[in-house]
Amino acid sequence: MKPVPFFESAKAWWFGLLLALLAPFAAFNDYLLHMMVLWGIYSILALSLNIIVGFLGELTFGHAAFFGIGAYASALVVMGLGLPIWLGPLAAGLIAGAFGFAIGYVALRIVGPQFAILTLGFGAIIQTITNYWVDVTRGPMGISQIPPFKIEALGLDFSQASHMYFLVLACLTLAVYICRALQSSRTGRAYVAIRENPELAQSIGINTFKNKWLAFTVATTMAGVGGSLYGHYLRVITPDLMSLSYMSALIIMVIVGGKGTTLGPVIGAMVYIALLESLRAFGNLRLVIFAAMLILCVIFLPGGLISVWLRWQNRVREN
Amino acid sequence: MSSLIPLLQAQKLSRHFGGLIAVNEVDFEVQAGEIVGLIGPNGAGKTTLFNMLCGSMAPTHGKIIFNGADCTSLSAHDMAQRGMARTFQITSLFPHLSVFDNVLTGTYRRQHTGWWASIQRQARHKQEEAEMALQASKILDFVGLSDRQDDLAMTLPYGDQRKLEIAIALATDPQLLLLDEPAAGMNPDEGAKLVGMIKDIRQRGVTVILVEHHMKVVMGVCDRVIVIASGQKIAEGVPQHVANHPEVIRVYLGREKVHA
Repeated sequence: MKPVPFFESAKAWWFGLLLALLAPFAAFNDYLLHMMVLWGIYSILALSLNIIVGFLGELTFGHAAFFGIGAYASALVVMGLGLPIWLGPLAAGLIAGAFGFAIGYVALRIVGPQFAILTLGFGAIIQTITNYWVDVTRGPMGISQIPPFKIEALGLDFSQASHMYFLVLACLTLAVYICRALQSSRTGRAYVAIRENPELAQSIGINTFKNKWLAFTVATTMAGVGGSLYGHYLRVITPDLMSLSYMSALIIMVIVGGKGTTLGPVIGAMVYIALLESLRAFGNLRLVIFAAMLILCVIFLPGGLISVWLRWQNRVREN
Repeated sequence: MSSLIPLLQAQKLSRHFGGLIAVNEVDFEVQAGEIVGLIGPNGAGKTTLFNMLCGSMAPTHGKIIFNGADCTSLSAHDMAQRGMARTFQITSLFPHLSVFDNVLTGTYRRQHTGWWASIQRQARHKQEEAEMALQASKILDFVGLSDRQDDLAMTLPYGDQRKLEIAIALATDPQLLLLDEPAAGMNPDEGAKLVGMIKDIRQRGVTVILVEHHMKVVMGVCDRVIVIASGQKIAEGVPQHVANHPEVIRVYLGREKVHA
């Protein structure tokens, strides 16, 4: 068997989880914790996008729309229908997944740039509907005062970063687990095979359409759950969540971190959040910096930041 | 050639492209355990015929019966699921995966547990993964690529890439293997090794059909040869018989055999 890179090993992940659990105690500061909550939520979204972009190898511009669908679905079933708040993420996942299931059925019949453009179109349609269907979504004003997750018996209020962080970390751990399970199964190998060579994939018995459809549905479900976490934490959502700026942020996380790996998107989300905050003084110039970073990454580090580690490890092994 | 029911039957198989008839009512049978060569001049319709057999192109009319079941117009992945594997005329691999992962990916159809079983950490899934990894190693041994198993497929020299293609196809544990010009671009030495490998593949219980230009390979390995010209079957039989068939000589050399 070929050696598994350290960051892919279970040991490395346990170590990472331990660090993540201890981190809030080392730097107890609400602002930092808030950043860490956002990192966790973005990591889940980046991981879900990575299933499509990294494993299947199809670029999608519609992912932010599913994130938004999840956020709205969760807020609406809890506030409008009065369902218990813990059913919010479940409903978000189901509804976003159902949209993914339907849109995937249509869109996945085409591949490459045409698929990317089609998802851009679907994303725009969903955002526009959210913007104008004022009766349900309250239009551009968005929905505010979304109730936070709470466990009153234990005195936990998840609108506080110090509580939410652990909830998000639990969800992120689950997302990482699901992605790692994918990688060590024939399903994951089928996705990579479709990315690498769809014709050969078919010739070894892989139904490319069905596999892509499943991947797309699971990825959009995950994005929906991420949207729910986001909405109940920040307690305000607007149709902006579905905009291209969120979409490009997710793409930057996946590409800069390292697509097609599980650690890459998690690292990418961390780098994105860290830069977003540390470069706050630059204002909108930050977006230019991110764009430059994306371009540099695509040219010089096609494997993302993760590949730096791999290169270093290979060099060590050769010496 | 023990069983009486042929493994593969093509009945009046035809494919039209607009007004062009690429393959015209071709009939043939392949028995289990045979190595059958499919030859013919360029543009004869070999590749079209090949593509119809493995499901990547639907026939205009005619029937394909594989393993006793009508498989006409099934898709490529369905044919693979039923035990028909193929290689491609132009080298076709998973370029950014290691040689080992290329072959492991090929075991897809033999596995029953997927993502969900992996999430649940089913014992059956772990067992199957270990079993498939073992199978992949064995196949790499068989084609002689074990020492390169950690290299990326794209970094292999051409000859090794062709071996890896065959390894991927074998990983599906096929009953029938279709090879599309496996000797293309090989030197005579590599060609001779390929002949040996194809014979070994038959030893594993796999029936082989190959489309080939290299006459040495065809003559060296095939039990039976089918000759196609202008979309029609013009001859069929043991290699020596076919090589002396006047029609075959005509289509290859453009004239009748000259008697001195």
